[in-house]
Amino acid sequence: MTMPTEQGQRKRPARKTGTSQPRTSSGTRTSVRKKKSPGRFATELVGRVGELKLTYTKLDHRTVISHSYFTTPWKLLPPIYLDDTGSAYTLLVNPSGGLVGGDHLSLDMTVEQHAHVLISAPSANRVYQTEGLVSEQHVTIAVEPGAILEWFPEHTIPFAGSRFRQSLRATVGPGATLFLWDALASGRIARGERWAFTDLENEILITTANGNSLLERYALDPATDLGVVGLAEEWDYVASFYIVNDALAPEVWTGLESTIAALLDTNPGAVLGGVSTPPVPGLAVKLLARTAPDLLAMMEALWAAAREAVLKLPPISLRKY
Amino acid sequence: MNTPALLEGLRFVDTFFPSGGYAFSSGLEAAVQGGAVKTSDQLAKYVEDLLRGGMSRREVLAVKQANRAASKGLLKVSVQIDRALEATKLGRESRMASRQMGRQVIRVAADQMRAKSILNEYRDEVEADRAPGHLAVTFGLTMGSCGWNPEETAGAFLYQTAVGFISSAMRLSPIGQHEGQRILGEWLPLIERISREVDLDTAMSSWSPIQDIYAMRHGSLEWRLFRS
Repeated sequence: MTMPTEQGQRKRPARKTGTSQPRTSSGTRTSVRKKKSPGRFATELVGRVGELKLTYTKLDHRTVISHSYFTTPWKLLPPIYLDDTGSAYTLLVNPSGGLVGGDHLSLDMTVEQHAHVLISAPSANRVYQTEGLVSEQHVTIAVEPGAILEWFPEHTIPFAGSRFRQSLRATVGPGATLFLWDALASGRIARGERWAFTDLENEILITTANGNSLLERYALDPATDLGVVGLAEEWDYVASFYIVNDALAPEVWTGLESTIAALLDTNPGAVLGGVSTPPVPGLAVKLLARTAPDLLAMMEALWAAAREAVLKLPPISLRKY
Repeated sequence: MNTPALLEGLRFVDTFFPSGGYAFSSGLEAAVQGGAVKTSDQLAKYVEDLLRGGMSRREVLAVKQANRAASKGLLKVSVQIDRALEATKLGRESRMASRQMGRQVIRVAADQMRAKSILNEYRDEVEADRAPGHLAVTFGLTMGSCGWNPEETAGAFLYQTAVGFISSAMRLSPIGQHEGQRILGEWLPLIERISREVDLDTAMSSWSPIQDIYAMRHGSLEWRLFRS
């Protein structure tokens, strides 16, 4: 796999594995893992502590990956161009199939000025039962001025007895656009396994250029009084959709809010949802769904509405199904 | 708690206090119209779920932290708590309701307890839009200034919230005063437990997706008695 540099030349990507060491900008070699746990770098952490770092750059009329770095279990496929907008579609690939206790995945992404990126995943993010150790995934995103990031991963499935901590922290620059979808299943529903995880924490923090923030954080620990799932146990999917941009006219948001409110009422009994204006410029959508097809159909409808209103672009097919 | 402190604080808990809370249902009106709350049992479960999952580690945590900040005179910490709470208020109507009630509390408290510099300083922060002025924070600061401890203040905040729901429910559904008192009495052990159990040093979080959704849906109701 090759990719262009800023000068238009092509070079091998900065690909590393768990047995090599990243080179810093100063040229010196470092080993973060050695600092954290001396003597434990060898095989036991390979494939369990995975880093993925991606920088997207607008080059001519296309968005390209200008810098990449990953360690197993992350794998990186070259971006796909689904239409003529030049937006780079990347699938986040973890071929290990999911997270087991003790796994620690991180993703650090920068979408540089005026670049346009679509992110998804080939399958649901499964979190397996653990005997005690927590599975973690932490994402840090910078959407630079004028850039666009459409973030639509598959939902998370926490298995019975699993423990999961997830965070996503995004900064959205002036004039930049972030579409952020996040969904959680109750468990392996076909097996009758619902809301049976040990504990689960999820955090989404979006900060805009003026310093205002949107924070969604929940901590579910069904064994405790204050951590129960409660009335939401009747449902099998819960999702959030955030649309953020600080440069749009208020009437755009008003119109899109009305459109989304109408969409959320198109499948009563199967989907329950609400839309409102959060403490950052944009819209926040919360919804519950009975089934995965209900969830997916609503996600696609909401995404299409947001694309049309904010980006003036038609819906796009990710060609996964 | 001594009697002067009790009486000083009770004014801010009493429904007679002009916070404007009677105008807000916190999404209950949308839940009633949407069919999620039709009976007193459904009301009880709906509010219990909100108090436990939605408010315990968010509003109650903010109340207790602000109370502690008041006792130490920590203005900047109070503003940080307020801003953190603002970030978690994803729905416009809920956010504005909390801010409106909170601003009323801090205005009255600062005006009438002039010796408490933290209240005056915080009112100035709110009036200058340097702090959002959410009810949980201004209530915590005020009750702390009255001499109530964090647990007592949290209990009073939840009790006030619970009474607000009962009051709204009586206007929205066929629930009478006696039924309202029965439900309120059943909530008291939960209120006590939440007030005691919420750890001051925990991270702010909230889980009440159903109530959040109905709060968001309130703005698009065709007819409304309440502002949220």
